[in-house]
Amino acid sequence: MESRTAQFRQGSASALADEQIQRNLQGLYSGFHSARLTASAATDDWEGLRERGQQIKTHVIENLDYYLDMLSRNVEKAGGKVFFAEDAQAASDYVVSVANSHNVEMIVKSKSMLSEEMGLNERLEAEGIEAVETDLGEYIIQLAGETPFHIIAPAIHKSAPEVAELFADKLGSDRAANIEELGREARRQLRAKFMAAGMGISGANFLVAESGTVTLVTNEGNGRMCTSMPKVHVAVAGMEKVVPSLEDLGMFLRLLIRSATGQMLSSYVTTVTGPRREEEEDGPEEFHLVIVDNGRSRILADREMREALTCLRCGACMNACPVYRKVGGHAYGWVYPGPIGAIVSPMLTGLSAGKDLPYASTLCGACKEACPVKIDIPRMLLYMRKELTQGDNYPEEKSASAGEAAAMKGWRAAMSSGASMRAANLLGRVGQRIAPKSPNGPLSGWTGSRDMPEVKRPFRARWGELKDG
Amino acid sequence: MTMTTNPNRDDFLKRISQGLGRDALPSAPVSASPPTLGPPEELHDRVRHVAELMGRDSDNLMNVLARTAEASNWNVVRVADAREAGLYARDLARDLEARSVVHSLHPIVRNALAGGLFDGSGVELTPVALDRESEEAMARSQAELRVIMEASDLAITGVDYAIAETGTAVIIPRAGASRLVSLVPPVHLAIVERGQVLPSLDELFTLRRNDFANCRLGSYMNLITGPSRSADIEYQLITGVHGPGEVHMVLVG
Repeated sequence: MESRTAQFRQGSASALADEQIQRNLQGLYSGFHSARLTASAATDDWEGLRERGQQIKTHVIENLDYYLDMLSRNVEKAGGKVFFAEDAQAASDYVVSVANSHNVEMIVKSKSMLSEEMGLNERLEAEGIEAVETDLGEYIIQLAGETPFHIIAPAIHKSAPEVAELFADKLGSDRAANIEELGREARRQLRAKFMAAGMGISGANFLVAESGTVTLVTNEGNGRMCTSMPKVHVAVAGMEKVVPSLEDLGMFLRLLIRSATGQMLSSYVTTVTGPRREEEEDGPEEFHLVIVDNGRSRILADREMREALTCLRCGACMNACPVYRKVGGHAYGWVYPGPIGAIVSPMLTGLSAGKDLPYASTLCGACKEACPVKIDIPRMLLYMRKELTQGDNYPEEKSASAGEAAAMKGWRAAMSSGASMRAANLLGRVGQRIAPKSPNGPLSGWTGSRDMPEVKRPFRARWGELKDG
Repeated sequence: MTMTTNPNRDDFLKRISQGLGRDALPSAPVSASPPTLGPPEELHDRVRHVAELMGRDSDNLMNVLARTAEASNWNVVRVADAREAGLYARDLARDLEARSVVHSLHPIVRNALAGGLFDGSGVELTPVALDRESEEAMARSQAELRVIMEASDLAITGVDYAIAETGTAVIIPRAGASRLVSLVPPVHLAIVERGQVLPSLDELFTLRRNDFANCRLGSYMNLITGPSRSADIEYQLITGVHGPGEVHMVLVG
C-alpha cells in the first residue's frame, strides 16, 4: 500500500472538519473501549495475564530466529508449504505464482492487515486475478475503493445509507432499507464467490511454533469460508506473530479478543494445521504459509523499538487514544493507524515521510494502559522524536529535520555558557519583532501548530533594574 | 508445482539472528521461556487432571455452560437423552419450515436421529460424508454435498468439547464431521453431552497439545461461540453475515 504518512496534518484537519466522521468516532469510545473495560474486569487476574502475555511475546521476539525455524519445519511436517518473504514484493510474487500454478481466476480473502501492507489486491488485479474481500467492512471499503479506517472496524466511517448507495451503485442491487438487508445482500453476493473461488487467502492472528498451527479469529465466518471452501489456502503472516506452544493460545485469545471487541470469545476461532488430511471430509488440498519481513527486521534490530513487534493488533490503543478518537484512521496515512501505527508505520515506510506521526500523541499514556501486552508506546514515541532530531540510527533520515537538529544543537551550546545565553536572549527578543510567526520560517515546524513563547527580557537583567531602581 | 519452498529460509533467519546480535541460529532459546501453563514434560499430568475435572465437576460445568452459552446468543435447551435431542431438532426443523437438513455423523447425532424420526415429515435428511468408493465418486459427492449444504435450512452436529468459560462449542473436523456443515446453512444445532464440557480455554489447549504430541491434531479446529456476527456498519450488531445467523445448543444429560 502506498504510504501517505507525510500527509498527517492535512488528513487530520479534514477528518476534524467532517461531522459524520466525528460522530462515528465517538462510537469507538462508547462501544469498543467500554466493552474492553467490562470484559477485562470479568476476566480472572487480567493484570496477571497481561504480565505473562508481555513476557511470552518478549521471549519470542528475543528468540525469533529460533521459533521461526521451528514453526516452518512444523508447518512442513503437517504437509504445508512455507515461503519466507523478505519484502512485500517477494510475498506478492509468491502468492501470484501459487495462484497461477492452479490457474486461479478468483480469490476470496479474509481480513489481513498484512495484505493491505503488501498491496496484494492491486497486484492480483494487475495480474488479471479477481481478489474479493469477504469481511463485511473490508468488502464495503473495497467496493468504495478506500482503505481501512480502523483495524477492527474498517468501514466504521460509513453510514448505512452510504453503504446502501454503494451496493446499489456497484452491485446493481435494490437499495437496502436497513442494515439487516445490507447484511443479507452481502451474504448473497459473497456466498457465490466462496463457492466459485479457486483460492482463499487469510491472515493469521497467531502462529504456533511447536505444531505449525495458524490461528484465525473472526466474527462473521468468512475466515472459516476462506480456509475451507477453496482448493488452496494461502495464509500470509508477519514474522512477529509467533507464540511457542498450543498451550499459550488460551491466554493470548483472551488478551486479544477481550481487548479488541470486549467479547469473551469471538464467534469463530479457527486453527489450521496443514492441508486437509486424507480421512477428513473437506478442506483445501494445499496449504501455504507466507512469512513476511517487509521491514520488521529493521525494527527488531533496534533494541529501543523491538517491543513494537509484540503487538497483537487488537486496536485497543486506538480506541483509548484521544488523538485517534478525533482524527480517525485515514489521517495516519498507512495500514496501521493510532498509537501503535504512529510507531510501526514510520518504521516500516520511512521515518522521514512519517515524521509527524510520533508527534501525533499527547503522551498521556492511555495507549500503554489499554495495551494487553503492556507495550510502552509513549516511551517509543519519545525515542522516535529524539531520533528524528538526532538521526543517529537512521542516517538516511537525518536530513529531514536537520534544521531542528541544528536548532537543538545551538540551544545546548547556548545553555552551556552564561554569556552566549544572554546573547541568544537578545537575539530572540530582536528576532521575534522582525519575524514574529513566519509560516515558512526555519522554525515553522514548531510555530505552525503552537505559539512560540514570547522571548522576555531575562530575569537577570530585570533584577538588576529592580535592585538599582 | 515446480517452485521450491523455503529458498530464502537461511537468509531470512540470518537477518533476524543478526538483528538480535548473534551470528547463527541458536539451538535452544537464549532466554528461559516463561511458560503459560507449565512445561511439556508435565503435560501428561495436566491432561489427567483435566479428565478428572470434566468428570467430577460435570454438573457445575453444564450449569455454567448453559449460562455462558446463552450470554453468547446460543438458544440453550437442556434435555435428558439423545432421543429428546432428536425431538427438539425435529420441532426446530418444523418451526423453520425446513425442507433440507444436513448433519454430521457424530455418534450422538446418529443416536438422536435414529428410529426414522423425520420419516413422513417431508424433510430431506443428508449426512455430510464423502462417498469414498473411488476418486471420481469422492469428487462427485464433494461437489454434490456442497450444493446440498448451500441449499439446506438446518445443520445438526455433535461437538468434541464445549467450554464453560466462554459458551463455546468445539468441533474438530474428521471423518463424518465436515468443516462446512456447521458453517454453510443458516441455522446450526449443536448437541453437547455431559462429560464434554471443559472449564476454560486453557484445558482445551492442554488436551490439543496432547493430541499433537500423539499425532492426532488433525488439520482444523473450530471454536464456535454464538451466531455469525458483524457490527461493521454503524456498530449495529447483525447476525448471519456468512455463517449461521441462528444457533441452538442442546445439552444432553
